[in-house]
Amino acid sequence: MASGDTLAIFTPYNNEPPSSNYATLDTRNQHPILDFDATTDEEAVFKGIMPQSYAGTTGVTVYIHYAMSTANGSVYVVWQAAFERVSDSVQDIDSDGFEAFNSTGQVAVPGTLGHVDVASIAFTDGSDMDSVVAGDGFRLKIRRDADGTSADDDATGDAELWAVEIRET
Amino acid sequence: MAVLSETDRQRIWRGIMRYWSQLFESTDFSVAELRAAVDATDNWIDGNQGSFNTALPDPFKTNATQAQKTLLFCVTAAMRVSPAFARQLIGEVD
Repeated sequence: MASGDTLAIFTPYNNEPPSSNYATLDTRNQHPILDFDATTDEEAVFKGIMPQSYAGTTGVTVYIHYAMSTANGSVYVVWQAAFERVSDSVQDIDSDGFEAFNSTGQVAVPGTLGHVDVASIAFTDGSDMDSVVAGDGFRLKIRRDADGTSADDDATGDAELWAVEIRET
Repeated sequence: MAVLSETDRQRIWRGIMRYWSQLFESTDFSVAELRAAVDATDNWIDGNQGSFNTALPDPFKTNATQAQKTLLFCVTAAMRVSPAFARQLIGEVD
């Protein structure tokens, strides 16, 4: 399949939250959103099957559509994402097997409160995305790096995840 | 009365952000700047409690407990946010 094609779309109701420090389901003007805290790292997990059309050469890019609940100044939010391959006899689902997180680095928040911004994180094909190939089951974990481990997230208030798209890079 | 503990200052810091998030209230400052403001506010209250006490009229000054004086201060400040906010602290404010 061609670069730029959509491989998967996830919305807040698709979230399969971890047992602790999970992003909280909320609504904003009837839009379902997932609230990610400003000081504690919180996560959301989405399950999918990699489409057969995925070429497995150039990797994927994860696009995170989000808004901020309060911050609209010159501040930054930091998102991270990680893949877990759940393929044929590959992953014991009694435990987690996520690959290391990739990060957006600092992303400037929208200048207008309520506007949606799109942050992106690229993954190279292979181990960077836990070797997920076409037809594999996988989970995608999204985290707000609120404590600034990978880069300084200094935005006040919640970051509200609106949707996630996985696109072939 | 000493300044608040680090834990309590963090509670204010996190709590006020959750409160504003719930209201979708615009904030043009960073989390670190808000935290500095929390510290400064607590330091100011600690440094000026004697002045506040002096400003109170008798017999309230003499007879009210420290907790009652603190509550008076809080509710008066809360009313400056809004009557609805003050109502959350003490119930009906007519």
